[in-house]
Amino acid sequence: MHDETHHGDLLVILRHAPHGSSWLREGLDAALVAAAFERRVTLLFLGEGALALLEGQGVGPMGQKGTAPTLAMLEMYDIDRLLVEERALRDYGLDASMLLLPARPVGATEMAEELAAHSLVLNF
Amino acid sequence: MLLHILNRAPDTPACRQALSALGPADRLLLIEDGVIGALPAQRAAFPGVEGRLYALHEDLEARGLLGRHADGIQVVDVEGFVALTEACERTVSWY
Amino acid sequence: MRYAILLLAAPYSHQASHSALRFARALLARGHTLEGVFFYHEGVHNAARLAAPPQDEPHLVDGWAALGEAHGVPLQVCIAAALRRGLLDEREARRHGKQGASVEAPFELTGLGQLVDLGLRCDRLITFGP
Repeated sequence: MHDETHHGDLLVILRHAPHGSSWLREGLDAALVAAAFERRVTLLFLGEGALALLEGQGVGPMGQKGTAPTLAMLEMYDIDRLLVEERALRDYGLDASMLLLPARPVGATEMAEELAAHSLVLNF
Repeated sequence: MLLHILNRAPDTPACRQALSALGPADRLLLIEDGVIGALPAQRAAFPGVEGRLYALHEDLEARGLLGRHADGIQVVDVEGFVALTEACERTVSWY
Repeated sequence: MRYAILLLAAPYSHQASHSALRFARALLARGHTLEGVFFYHEGVHNAARLAAPPQDEPHLVDGWAALGEAHGVPLQVCIAAALRRGLLDEREARRHGKQGASVEAPFELTGLGQLVDLGLRCDRLITFGP
């Protein structure tokens, strides 16, 4: 069943930067599992979560993997609908050339529409 | 129409994010530390949410805020919380 | 309606576990069904078998277990999030060469796929975070 206003099964909102906590990693894990179960997944990088998209991330000093390798796998899982909060790009001085994956900037109105257009929203 | 559930005080990223993702007909329920936003002095923190703002009775009461909340905020008990989730298509939690 | 709950916060650190348990009881009292509670992130600590809070505080682990048993509600704990945090049932304890288990029935260790399934199958999924 295709519905014009339905953008996917699952919207995963990522609000945390890499390394400082496990929120980003555990949020991405939920997205990957849903995609592996053939669900259509959209990712929204909100607030500090926008920093997950920054190019040039490394491992932590104790060898913590971080999340950049997971982001690199998203395409393999057919997760290609990536959104990033416009305001977060502004707040952190980021532009498209600094990001490791293309994400479409969205404003407040569009964010509200995205929330309404998915069957399930998981907020991490 | 979605129900947004906020458990953080107004001066937090979670509150800012909840407000920016709130649709024009969506409702906002304050629970836990979120009920701090129900104080009259915090009214300006929720522009444009008039008539769609709720606060959880038991969390107001536990914090000594019951009866001190701003006019126009609808106070619901836990049963009212469930009723709100029935009436709204889906819920999104901000924490 | 069919409800599911996602709990992301540890008990006694945040109010979330109290709120979630209250909400679970209230939705059942209104005649809804609770198809499952999924414990993820630090929420996995709600399954800690050895939790021993002071007697004058609500026992959240027992509270969840009692709810699960009384209403047949599956209490599903994300296995990956649990193992990292030292929460193992007997099978996992044996598999990892550990003595003693820290998770027991009615809690069950399960995959993250169960969360997606619960969320999409139920009419409502309510998240309680820290």
